[in-house]
Formats: sequence, structure tokens, C-alpha cells
Amino acid sequence: MYYGYTGTILRVNLTHGEVTKEALDLKMAEEFVGGRGLASRLLCAEIDPEIEAMSPENPLIFGTGPLTGTGAPATARYVVVCKAPLTGTIACSNSGGFFGPEIKFAGYDALIIEGESPEPVYLWIQDDRVEIRSASLLWGKTPVETESTLQKLTHPASKIACIGPGGEKLSLMAGIVNDNYRLAARSGVGALMGKKKLKAIAIRGTGGVNLADPEQFWKASMDMHAKITGDPVSFGSFRAYGTASLVNLINEMGAYPTRNFQSDTFEDAVKTGGEAITEDILERNRACFACPISCTRVTEVKEGPYKGRGEGPEYESTWSLGALCGVSNLEAVAKANYLCGDYGIDTISTGATIACAMELFETGALSEKEIGFPLRFGDEAAMVRAVEMTGKREGFGDILADGSYRLAERYGHPEFFMGVKKLEMSAYSPRVFQGMALQYATSNRGACHVRGNTVAAELYGIPRYMPPEVLEQKEEMVRRPFQNSTAFVDSTGICLFTKFAITHREICALLAPATGIDFNFDRSIVQGDRIWNLERMFNLRAGFTAADDKLPARVSEPSPDGPRAGSRAILQNHIQTYYQLRGWDEEGRPTRSKLKELNLEDFWNVCSEHD
Amino acid sequence: MINVTVKLSADLRRYRPALRIDESLPLSVPEETTLLELLSEILQIPAHAIAIPIVNGVKCKLNQKLVEGDRVAFWPPMAGG
Ligand code: SF4
Repeated sequence: MYYGYTGTILRVNLTHGEVTKEALDLKMAEEFVGGRGLASRLLCAEIDPEIEAMSPENPLIFGTGPLTGTGAPATARYVVVCKAPLTGTIACSNSGGFFGPEIKFAGYDALIIEGESPEPVYLWIQDDRVEIRSASLLWGKTPVETESTLQKLTHPASKIACIGPGGEKLSLMAGIVNDNYRLAARSGVGALMGKKKLKAIAIRGTGGVNLADPEQFWKASMDMHAKITGDPVSFGSFRAYGTASLVNLINEMGAYPTRNFQSDTFEDAVKTGGEAITEDILERNRACFACPISCTRVTEVKEGPYKGRGEGPEYESTWSLGALCGVSNLEAVAKANYLCGDYGIDTISTGATIACAMELFETGALSEKEIGFPLRFGDEAAMVRAVEMTGKREGFGDILADGSYRLAERYGHPEFFMGVKKLEMSAYSPRVFQGMALQYATSNRGACHVRGNTVAAELYGIPRYMPPEVLEQKEEMVRRPFQNSTAFVDSTGICLFTKFAITHREICALLAPATGIDFNFDRSIVQGDRIWNLERMFNLRAGFTAADDKLPARVSEPSPDGPRAGSRAILQNHIQTYYQLRGWDEEGRPTRSKLKELNLEDFWNVCSEHD
Repeated sequence: MINVTVKLSADLRRYRPALRIDESLPLSVPEETTLLELLSEILQIPAHAIAIPIVNGVKCKLNQKLVEGDRVAFWPPMAGG
């Protein structure tokens, strides 16, 4: 009998049309928890990281955590892990909604999808019955159309994850969409799903999650619920204004990257911020499975050229499609955000790629003839048009669809790519937030804010306040309370946003009675460290080196204007201190003793020769 | 007296509902006024409603004294992604 976990991993081979079931290795689960950790560990057993990301050998792993679907607050998450098509690093994209819990209800901890189908197919998983069915009628449909069609073809209560036309056309910015609007967005996981010709997974589970000690579990769950609903952050502005409530605050600090990071202050930020969204286009809030916070925003632009309906824009999306492109029209930003949803492409990478194209155009490196129209910063109609072309891979959109790294290289200006390891940075300027600078440089999936959102400490004071410009002790802050801790939380199945109100202790207080395994605070620290190191080893084996832990040159230049004019990202000595704290050598490779400490010695020979 | 501007965001807007979101409140206050005094005596907003006071782009403490031209912005407890 398994508790917390279902004990079963489903393996589907699309090349041969085979379906098999395997028992979960509980020892492995204890070491890697679940979700991000366990799925990454499973990936490392499947492939050599040197393989081509867009090859049939690269599996797509859908993972859940032991808390996913238990009904404790915000236990909604699932992850998608593979070698990333966009970056070549390990990918782990994560999403909420209801799809993750349904995987558990159907009886699985993870789904491993391998091989490639010759024709478009979808998976229909009904508890222990699994069918591979033709998706020829679904190909070309948007996620919303796909979901409603599949619910007719399978069961009205099926939960659906699918790709949009962007994934079908192998856009390297494509994500996987579940519950109509939620996107496991980054790193191009949807491109791999498209390569496998897997349009969708429809899942219906009638089981539940067994709990080892239900009484204790529900007590801990009630405590957590009380903490979250009593917390002024989680239950205050975050709920009232959504993630986009940050727009005006970050801009006020002069840390809101604008026009492809040429500046850190956007004069029109207020027009696309959380307050404007709430007043102008918000219809209502929506919650993921069992979540009291309900931060999701259902919005509608009722009329005009940008008419549309969907969820968001979230903080990152209103930024990438707004300030980063110099666009201040909220309705246009919302429309571009809806279009990204329809095509199933990542809003951050899409906005950042268009911003990069705008800079190429304005500097004359890219002509109007090539694009088909002038693409200037601030031109909202051109921005929306570019999103549409990108989703369809039409005309110049065919080039945009593969992200800003490849775009900037192609037109001879690699310095216009604002990212790390081929992944575009997010909406916190590393010139101002020094913790974020180090985090972007060292994150295992490339520049990304959700691998360690140090802004929590550098602005809100969670867990404690460390001013953004301070350098001392930032290495340790980035390493442990952010990167390692996030790796642990992402592995449990609980939403990272709960972290504003709760700590590992509360999460472990749920994990132990859920699973019957001795999950505790001390072990959670090691588990987070183990997962981070495993991801690092994957990347080293895939060919990444210390030279890839670097920021674009532009952000090391002083910020030109705004309240933080003159500030710049400072990395130099930081990186070596960070490596040392991690137990890595000066090349950024884990030492043998570090791997021994984490019980990670069995992997490829990528560790340091020293020690 | 010195001149400063004040911005209220998110939930705090309920204390000045007529203020547009892109508007700042221009105020003349006595020299040496602290942020705390500005809140309690001039704006009549309870200090516990404020989690993030920002002056000229920098987060600061409520005992900070105002100087001519300061751009003050207040935020309630908040966070995001
Ligand atoms: S906090 Fe927001 S994203 Fe997280 S589970 Fe709740 S509603 Fe979903």
C-alpha cells in the first residue's frame, strides 16, 4: 500500500503504441521527493544528456508530487520534465489548475511519454485504462477548442493538457496548456510534445490519494489553511490584484526592464499594472485545485480591435508584452496574452523575442521588407501582429518562433539577446536586484525568476530583508533559502506562491502524515540541494560549463535613467564564492565528496577531478 | 515647509478613492516630517497598513525624514511572481 504516492508510473511508447506500468521506487521517492526532483531523477535514468532535445529518445515526463491532489491548500501542481528544446538544459516547467491532481486520481505518480508517433494522437487515460487515439480532428485547434472537443469525445469531466498550434509547429517557445488557459510555459516543452505528435492527454481519475495518517494530515492542513488565509500578503493584495500588483512597485524602484532592457523604468507602467487590470478588464478571480488564494484572473476585453477573453495577463506577461516592447495599451497587451494562450506559446519568451526584434529593426539590422511591416518599440498593433505570426509560424513569425537567442544570432547581434543559457530573463532587473543577477546566471534552466525568486528577500523581506544593492551574503541567500528551497517545494506538489505565508516546516508537517515517510525540515534542506546538484550534473553532461553562468553584457553596464540610474549587475567574485558554497570547483563542477554527501555518485563522470 | 509627492497603490487606494491610479498627491509638509508623521498626522493612514514605503525608488524605514522634492510611494504587504 502506498500513501501520498500512488506507487505507479505509466510509460507510453508512441513509436510502438505500447503502454506499460511500473512500480515507483520508494527509495528514489524518498531521496527526490516527487514532482521536479523525482521526474528529473527519472529523466536521468532514461537518457544521456548529450542527446538532441528534439529527438525521439528525449522523453516527456509529467510528474506529480506526493501532496498533489491531497486537498491540502494549493496542492495543484504538476511538472513537465525533459531535455529542453529551447535551451538544451534540463527543463522543468510547472503548472497548476486541475490536471495534476487528476493524474493522481487516475492512479499515477508520473507519466513517461517516449518515442514519436507517425500521426497526430492523443492519450485517453481513464483510471487504469489507457488508449492512444487518433488526433487528426484535433490538429490545428486551440487549447480551448481542444479541451471542449476532448471532453465530448471522452468524458465531460476529463482534465486536459494539450499543445496549441505553436507546439504543433515546433515553436521552441511552445508550452503545454492545461485546463484551457494554464501554461507549463518555459523552455519549449510544447515543442517536444509537438515533435512526438502528441496533441493532448485527456485524463479521468475516480480514485483518491491514500493518506498514511489522515487525522494528523488534516490537522496540519487546517493549520496551513489558517496561516495562508491569515496572511496579509497571500490573502491581501496578491489575491485582490494578482501577480500584476507588482508592476507599479517594481517600476517605482527603477527595476522594471523596459525596451529590451535598455532602461529599467517604464513611463507608462501604471497603464498595464495590476490596478489597471483590476479596474478595466477583470471579470473575476479563479482558483486552482484546493487553493484558498485564487490568484488567477479571468479577464475580458469586451470590444474593439483587441476583443478577447482568457486568463491574465500575469505580472510577467503584462511586462514582456508591455514594457519590454514599450507598449502601454492594456487591451493590446491582454490581446497578445490571449493569443499566446491560443497558440500555446510562452508569454515571456514571446514578448522578449519581439522586443529583441524591435531593437534589431530600430538599429537597422533587420529591415521592414524582412518583417513585412515596421516593428518599432511602442507600436502595439505591430506587437500584436508579431505575436500572431509567431504562433502561426507565418512569414517572419517562422524566425521569431524559435526565440530571441537564435534571432539575435541570426542577425549578427548576439548582444541583443537578454537572457542566460538561451532562456530570456524575466521582469526583475538584475542591475538592481543583485540576488536576482546571481540567480539568473546560475539557474539550471537558464535565466528564470521562479528557480529562486530572491525579490522576496530583497524587497518584501521574506524570509528576512536584504537590500537589493547589497552584495554580501547574497551567494548563500541565493543558494539555500531560494534555489534549494524552491527545488524542494517544486517537488512536493504544492504551489510555490504559498511560500509567502508558510515554510518548509509546514510543508513537511503535511508530507510526513501524507506519506508515512519521515520527511522533516533537515532532510528537506538536503533534498533541495540534491535536486539542484542533479540538475547541474545533467547540464554539465549536456555540455554546459562555467562560461555559461554569465549575464548579457548590457546589464553589467549602468542603468541609464530612473531612480536607480547608475546601478548595474555585479557578478565577478560572486560566482566563485557561490561555487565554493555549493561544494563545486572553480569550473562549477560538483566535487566527488559533495556528490557522495548527496548520494549522487552514480551519475555520469562530470564531477571535479580535484578533491 | 517642503514639497513632496505621495502615491498610494493596491489596497491603500481606498484611503484616497478619488485619486486616479496614475496620480500622485502633491503635499506641503513641515520640514523634518518623518514618514510615520506623514502617515498618521497628515494622511491619516494607519502605519500598520504599510509594509513597503519607498522614497525616490529606495525602500526605507518609517522614521526617515522627508526632504524637499521627495517622491514617496506606499505599498501594503505584498508579493508576487
Ligand atoms: S496561488 Fe494561484 S497559481 Fe498557486 S495554486 Fe493558488 S490559484 Fe493556483
